Amino acid sequence: MTDQKEVDTEIINLVVARLKTIPPDAHLSVGGDETKTMNSEDLIVEVKKQSEIGKQIIESQLFFLRSLRDLPIESNA
Amino acid sequence: MKAMLSILITRPRYETATHYLYHWSTLLVQVANNGGNKVFDLEKKRASRKNVESYLSKRKLSVVIFNGHGDSHSVAGQDGEDLITAGQNANLLKGCVVFMRACSAGKVLGIEIMKLGGKSFVGYKEPFRFYSNEKEYFKKPLEDDYARPFFEASNQVGVSLIKGKTAQEADENSRKVYKNIISRLLTSNASNSFVIPDLLWNMRHQVCYWQEEK
Repeated sequence: MTDQKEVDTEIINLVVARLKTIPPDAHLSVGGDETKTMNSEDLIVEVKKQSEIGKQIIESQLFFLRSLRDLPIESNA
Repeated sequence: MKAMLSILITRPRYETATHYLYHWSTLLVQVANNGGNKVFDLEKKRASRKNVESYLSKRKLSVVIFNGHGDSHSVAGQDGEDLITAGQNANLLKGCVVFMRACSAGKVLGIEIMKLGGKSFVGYKEPFRFYSNEKEYFKKPLEDDYARPFFEASNQVGVSLIKGKTAQEADENSRKVYKNIISRLLTSNASNSFVIPDLLWNMRHQVCYWQEEK
């Protein structure tokens, strides 16, 4: 249980670190019952709260990191 | 030679998200008009439930493209008015090829459309996301490099359908565009490469349903 919590915290920290690299002028439109546009600070708050949007952001960042190996890369780039 | 299609496109515009959808959908309207099709462009206040139901009831439409807010059971028009709702009027899309660029409509509404005789459906089973730099580009959303990858990839569904491709082909073509964009962003110093996880999100949650040929 403690290990699980530690992993969760590590994951949140990892996602927060990634979100901090998003330029402050970028706003994400996220749908749902109440559509919002959110900057990186807003997203970080949602991730830390582990709200529904926050969980979706965590999932998409982790999916990206896990799939890096399989993503298409232009050979002549 | 491609047969002339009857195409209905809804493009509400009343806040930031629909403002971007509206402008990027202009490109779909242009492609549709250039192809010699019969195009019904329900923009802004014309994107109402009354108008949509009227067009769907009175005309035999081949392709119907919705841009707007949505949830698992409905897709919205101007000022958030529900245009098509599961359990209410999804039957009106019988025989149509449908693309819903709206949050989550592929989860329940898209399935119901198919059960009620829709020819095919492309949409998203989770929220459709996009980044924008609205402060700098609100007046010129087509030049916003944060938004461009999301709309180029999703527009490909509409462009393919307008050009007479099947929903499966449109879905596949769109996925190719997603992959090309992601590949380009991964291997460049582009300042917008932070969008990749969210592009992947849209691509993964894009769904395509179709009726088997009998």
